[in-house]
Amino acid sequence: MFLLFSKIFSIVLAGVVISKSYVDFRARKESVQMFLLWTMTWIAVVVVALFPNIVDFLIELGGGRIGVGTFLGMALVFNLFLVYRMYVRMEALQQKMTMVIQELALTASGREGIRETQRELTADRDRR
Amino acid sequence: MKKDVFKVVVVLPAFNEAKAIGGVIESIPATIGNMQVQSVVVDDGSTDDTAIVARDAGARVVRHLTNLGVGAATRTGFRAAIELDGDVIVTIDSDGQHDPADIKSLVDCLLDGSYDVVIGDRMLHPQGMPGSRIGANWLLNAITFLVYHGSVSDSQSGFKCFSRKAILTMDLKADSYAICSEMIGEIFAKDLRYGSVPVKPVYTSYSRAKGQHFLNGINIILHLFARMMRRV
Repeated sequence: MFLLFSKIFSIVLAGVVISKSYVDFRARKESVQMFLLWTMTWIAVVVVALFPNIVDFLIELGGGRIGVGTFLGMALVFNLFLVYRMYVRMEALQQKMTMVIQELALTASGREGIRETQRELTADRDRR
Repeated sequence: MKKDVFKVVVVLPAFNEAKAIGGVIESIPATIGNMQVQSVVVDDGSTDDTAIVARDAGARVVRHLTNLGVGAATRTGFRAAIELDGDVIVTIDSDGQHDPADIKSLVDCLLDGSYDVVIGDRMLHPQGMPGSRIGANWLLNAITFLVYHGSVSDSQSGFKCFSRKAILTMDLKADSYAICSEMIGEIFAKDLRYGSVPVKPVYTSYSRAKGQHFLNGINIILHLFARMMRRV
């Protein structure tokens, strides 16, 4: 029952991701490389979900020296690496966005006021 | 032109603080000795009348188009303070948690002790501070030490006083509350001279509600560990 659910769930999820990727590709929001990468990745996920014995086949292909646990562990480490890379990239983007907003804030609403204050202070100092 | 009048710029990062910020700005002294004091509010994308209230209370207002976080707002305030030709820059919370009357003690300590940074230290006299805040402060002090190898008794204080040199020397990047720990790291990394002055936090029901939440603490820890990981 659980196996059937996981198969249906994987197919639905893959369908959603691939169709979203296709829509973005058509709208030129996504490059052809990214579209192909996501499509192949999710097709692979569906294939493994439909035929889980492929994992055993891959383990045997590797000489049977690694177990399913090791295989899953490696997948987990790879996923964590991807999450970390995304975190770093997201933070870099956040910093760029911060720079733009700071610049806009100082230019649009602040800098003129600051210059005004500067003029007032200079006049005040000159008076003294 | 010889500079004979020092100027103090007080930076107040603010997000939805319309209820409290007017009172805080009005309590900031107009002069300290012969030094002029200018308040700069960085409205961090507030959805209430923070900017209007701050302007009416006499502060210069710099507005972020969207909410970036207290660290980003503080950094914007530093840039504004430098453009305003500030010699001494003070950061203070906008929620009324700090008593603006203490600004004078921080500035005097900075100038008398020839320090680059003076920390308004809540932990020197923590009477009235909730136990959970004391515990969280100690935890974040320990993590700050672990990440930046610098130890102070109140690493998370938002009430600090800087010389112009310190502001120009520090390389700050954090957008969030993690900027407090980052400042401590920069003080030690850049060999800035620092001192501490005891300040008494003002805990009202408003400032308690607006203060750092538990999740902010988790965010600070995640940010600091991510930073540490990148150095490994």
